[in-house]
Amino acid sequence: MIRLRIGIALAALVVASAVVGPWLVPHDPIRPDYGARYAAPSADHWLGTDGLGRDVLARSLAGGRVSLAIAAGATALALALGLVTGLAAAGWRGAGDVLLTRAFDALLAFPGFLLVLLLVAILGGGVWQTVLALGVAGSPLYFRLVRAFTRSELGRDYVLAGTALGASRARLVVRYALPNYVGALAVQAASTAATFLLVEASLSFLGLGVPLPTPSWGNVLQDARSYLTRQPWAAMGPGLVLATAALALQFLSDGFRDRLDRRG
Amino acid sequence: MLRFALTQTLSVAITLAVVLSLVFVAMRALPGDAAAILGGLDTEAAQVEALRRELGLDRPLIVQYGAYWGDVIRGDLGSSLRERRPVTAVLRERIPVTLALAAVAFTLALVAGLGVGLLAGRRSGGALDGAALGFTTVGLALPEFWFGFLLILFFAVQLGWFPVIGYPVEGDLGVRLWHLILPALTLAIPRAAQIARLARARLLEELAADYVRTARSKGVSARALSRHVAANALPGVLPLLALELGGLLTGTIVVEQVFGLPGLGLTLLGAIGARDYPVVQGVTILAVTVYIAVNWLADLLQIVADPRLRYA
Repeated sequence: MIRLRIGIALAALVVASAVVGPWLVPHDPIRPDYGARYAAPSADHWLGTDGLGRDVLARSLAGGRVSLAIAAGATALALALGLVTGLAAAGWRGAGDVLLTRAFDALLAFPGFLLVLLLVAILGGGVWQTVLALGVAGSPLYFRLVRAFTRSELGRDYVLAGTALGASRARLVVRYALPNYVGALAVQAASTAATFLLVEASLSFLGLGVPLPTPSWGNVLQDARSYLTRQPWAAMGPGLVLATAALALQFLSDGFRDRLDRRG
Repeated sequence: MLRFALTQTLSVAITLAVVLSLVFVAMRALPGDAAAILGGLDTEAAQVEALRRELGLDRPLIVQYGAYWGDVIRGDLGSSLRERRPVTAVLRERIPVTLALAAVAFTLALVAGLGVGLLAGRRSGGALDGAALGFTTVGLALPEFWFGFLLILFFAVQLGWFPVIGYPVEGDLGVRLWHLILPALTLAIPRAAQIARLARARLLEELAADYVRTARSKGVSARALSRHVAANALPGVLPLLALELGGLLTGTIVVEQVFGLPGLGLTLLGAIGARDYPVVQGVTILAVTVYIAVNWLADLLQIVADPRLRYA
């Protein structure tokens, strides 16, 4: 219970900083200011400025919007892809099931980060491309979960009763079985979002995710690395927020699971 | 058991075939034309056309696909467009760095992960368990490269105990190991957290089993009991270990970048940037094959370690 509360509180904090933060900091996160390069932290620039004179705090806050939006969008996409295909596979069985299972198994046979990297290399860098790459790479897990859950639910008596009442196969799969495991999917989704936050940051850090000058936590940190020993604080701000965000999602996932277990 | 192992192996072979075909498709989907890149900026169209013929890119896809399989089976991965030498030579030069890094990191993760997980699970709810929970939660949320920054700032810059970046490929073993400690630690922490979490859960699950209660009630010694419990709990951790180990060949990319280690990861990254697709393809084939092979070995090992699976 306590973990769920901490998770909600931390998540609210991080989301609020990303939504409201950019309005509170008076500096432009993108426009360079060559007169103020590499400024030390001051009342005006709390985390100092980067090599182009841009306020690091402003870039971190604006980057939060981009990073959080990508993680949320990619998780939703992975969930949606896995849900549709998983329900279809469990509903059809037969050849369609075998084909879908084989296809997702092949995706799972790639080391996770390599798959995302190759997809981004094929699609090119960009916010939407990153969402698509992460979503596709994350979908096999949801396909497997949905397919397994649906099949196990379909074996239960209430489904048999539904069949006797004349419910169609689609209705059994979606209206009968699905509501019984949405909670478990939510647990997994929170954990996936945490992973996606970290992976997107890694991609942008490598210069493959969100292209400059659009800020994201990853590319702000990439920038901070080039003057790490001179201005360590520039790396502290965005790194801490990123870690906090991932921590919050981890807590949320664990908290959801505890609640489900207690009820179950 | 032999039959089980054989079906398992056949299934892995099919997966490998499908995945290597996917790699072929992915390499054709990458943006840019290999011949145009090889020729450079101001190459005449006719020259590009000649290069395409030389590289076999003008043949129908199905013929290229056949040739691809022939090359893969013979272990011929083509030539690097940038370095103008065989991809296998490039790989042979870079593999030792990544392999050394992966070995040190995996050892650290294994020892720390199992140690923390088993200590925490022995008395759930205790102070040790609380500390372990803190470690695993933070470990899973740490952005890998950022943790690397922290290590560099503290141990390399502040204290000066370790080198900041770089790797002496020619240096002797001790010196090379010295350069690997911080990157290996960076890689090990999140992986140790994952292993600890699973090991703890498996141990708790096992300790709650009826046979443990029975054994305790008839006075089996703690040592004998822990042997029984370990034999039942540990095989369940094997698949995760395989995933972690198999993934390290490319999982090191970010850390190699942070610490400037000239391994497979940096090679892949540089090749993607320079559109040196034969190298991208070579690293991918190697990484995927190793990943699948390690997971297959872990499956077999799990059958050996846990006889119950043979009848499942």
